[in-house]
Amino acid sequence: MKLLSNYLKEMKIAARGFYFYIEIAMAVILLGILLFVVSETSTSNSKQFIYNDMPQKIAEYLKDKSIEDGDARLANSTEFELKPAEFVITNQETGETTAYDFDDEKIIELETIEMLDSSTGERDETVYYVETEEDMIRLAYSEREVGTTVAMDARGKVSTKYYLQGYETDRLESLLYISHSKSPAVINAKKDRQVVRTLGVMETLNNRENLVPIFLVYLGSLMGYFIVMAYIFYDKAEGVIRAFAVTPSSMWKYLVSKIFVILTTVVVSSSIITIPVMGGQPNYLLFYIFLIITTFALASLGLLVASFFDSISKAFGVMYAIMISLMIPAFSYYIPSFDPLWLRFFPSYPLLQGFKEILLNGDTGYVLTYSFVFLAGGLVLFVLADMRFKKTLTV
Amino acid sequence: MIKKIFLILKRDFLSSRRDAMAVYIMVIPLILAVGITLFAPGLNDTTVKLAMLKSDDVEHIEYMEQFSKVELFNSVDELERRVEKRDDIAAIAPTGNSYEIILQGNESEIVEEYAVQLNTLYELGSTKEETTAQLISFGRTVPPLKAMLVNMLIAMTIMLAGMLIAMSIVEEKVENTINALNVTPISQTGFVIGKSLLGGTVAMLGIIGAVIITGFYDINWFMIVLVGLTSMILSLVIGFLQGISSADVIEAAGGVKLIMLPLAGSIAVYELLADKWQWTMYWSPFYWAYKANNLILSKTADWGTVLLCTAMVIGLSLIVYLVSLPKLRKGLS
Repeated sequence: MKLLSNYLKEMKIAARGFYFYIEIAMAVILLGILLFVVSETSTSNSKQFIYNDMPQKIAEYLKDKSIEDGDARLANSTEFELKPAEFVITNQETGETTAYDFDDEKIIELETIEMLDSSTGERDETVYYVETEEDMIRLAYSEREVGTTVAMDARGKVSTKYYLQGYETDRLESLLYISHSKSPAVINAKKDRQVVRTLGVMETLNNRENLVPIFLVYLGSLMGYFIVMAYIFYDKAEGVIRAFAVTPSSMWKYLVSKIFVILTTVVVSSSIITIPVMGGQPNYLLFYIFLIITTFALASLGLLVASFFDSISKAFGVMYAIMISLMIPAFSYYIPSFDPLWLRFFPSYPLLQGFKEILLNGDTGYVLTYSFVFLAGGLVLFVLADMRFKKTLTV
Repeated sequence: MIKKIFLILKRDFLSSRRDAMAVYIMVIPLILAVGITLFAPGLNDTTVKLAMLKSDDVEHIEYMEQFSKVELFNSVDELERRVEKRDDIAAIAPTGNSYEIILQGNESEIVEEYAVQLNTLYELGSTKEETTAQLISFGRTVPPLKAMLVNMLIAMTIMLAGMLIAMSIVEEKVENTINALNVTPISQTGFVIGKSLLGGTVAMLGIIGAVIITGFYDINWFMIVLVGLTSMILSLVIGFLQGISSADVIEAAGGVKLIMLPLAGSIAVYELLADKWQWTMYWSPFYWAYKANNLILSKTADWGTVLLCTAMVIGLSLIVYLVSLPKLRKGLS
């Protein structure tokens, strides 16, 4: 009963302040961004500048063919401003260098086509056709994108020159070399005969849905860690914790009531974001279990950290360092081929992957395993925080 | 007046030294800069990974290692278990006289394309020696991803400076020292400048240190300092508004979250959206600061663009400041 009355009291206090409403407003804004700004399919912003050193008719034929085959679509022509520039280029094989020094400024309009992703039909790369090789090199340099000269000799033999920035990996450079070791027709014929075996039919999140786990983790669970600390420091400044020592209520009930306020806020704001975007797709029972357990664990971590300091200013370094380190796994989430072992030890890694599995209706075992891990870890942290607060009361 | 401003700076410095907050704001960007320096090479080399059998031809394994990161396993079962793990990896396993590519089914399209392309080229016996391609380099060494991380770090440092000011004002309010200041000869403007100097100075030092640690020595330092100083105005406006409008630390913390939205939005729009959508963030001073820093770090900045960006940061920050001036005055009274 005391726990319930504590919780209701805390909720009344929270409802009087702005913070609770900031959370709700933030969730509504994010939902608006997801629904109206982020598209379901992803488009690429990568660009390539191409100079065709071949008869005009052949260049036109190749372009038209890729459009007819559905590999590309014509876009509006694009204007580029060429500014004065001075740079040196080096041929990787021969080591030969060429210096360029452009003093003039000019605006050029380039024919533009969009190369399309074969599975989604969305833009994969934007290709700009440049009329002179010099302008192409200048654009590749100033726009920091790949420039290409495709040349065809009198016998119809095609050769390619890539203008790279210099920071590309050796592996990528090697791939560019061997990709031009046989004729495209021979490579394509062989490619069509490759056997690809897929282990299962796997669901994937679309571009919009893929952002939901990020919002849930970084604006939900992790904010629980941050905000519970703010609540505790506020109460410390007001002397509430000291006053608690002379009431019949136990410390753990006070701490749980704080966590319940955070849980209420996180559950409401996470629901505002998730339900309209994901609809009936996820297993919501599992979703709320995972959300509540992980928020509890991180809020307990916040309580423990808060127990060592008497103001938010003093706790700032530890609080901020933990928050930043928990953000690092987002890189792996967005770049799945970047997945070093050490990254998996950050708590936010299973958090992101767990929410992703729930939204996909995927690996329930993974979610339940980590729910258990977070619950156990959260309980340990909570007990430690309770012991710290009981021991120090005012600290 | 100047003396009084420096007295406030001194007082803030002494009080922030007690809880080491100013040190954190200066040191955290430096630690993160070391992290970026260690972390960026791995992040840049995101070549597709392949799983192969240890019993496969040594020549085949070596061939694939030229183009991808290869992991070796004892059996096809182990290969499949590896493919089923969370990250993107394709397996290439022998079947009869040929090879098959094994995928989990949820990899990005590029993983399948890359694995198919490599296996095709291997089966065709393609070598680098017979290539018709030439590679020409502009000689740049800093990948755009590293520049982006450093730029994000600068944006976060600006936010931190704002937080420092906000928290310090909230604490002044809680301890009622703002009221006490109203009966001293210091003017409100003097108080604002005095409070701003500490946050601004430590953040500026943090930014310069972070840029040096991450290896951007040969950038235009006049430009980066100019953008840094104008960004300080931005952090001061944020800090003061947050501090004055928050009754306690909980609201100040919530305010930080709200400010993160235009910051993250500006970065997302600049990095992810096409040129035709860039205008959607022109209202955000963070956008202009991020753009200017990006051009400077990538060494493609010209003075015209940098001055335009800094003018936009100052202009937008001043508009926000002037609009909220009555509220600020009221809060300080």
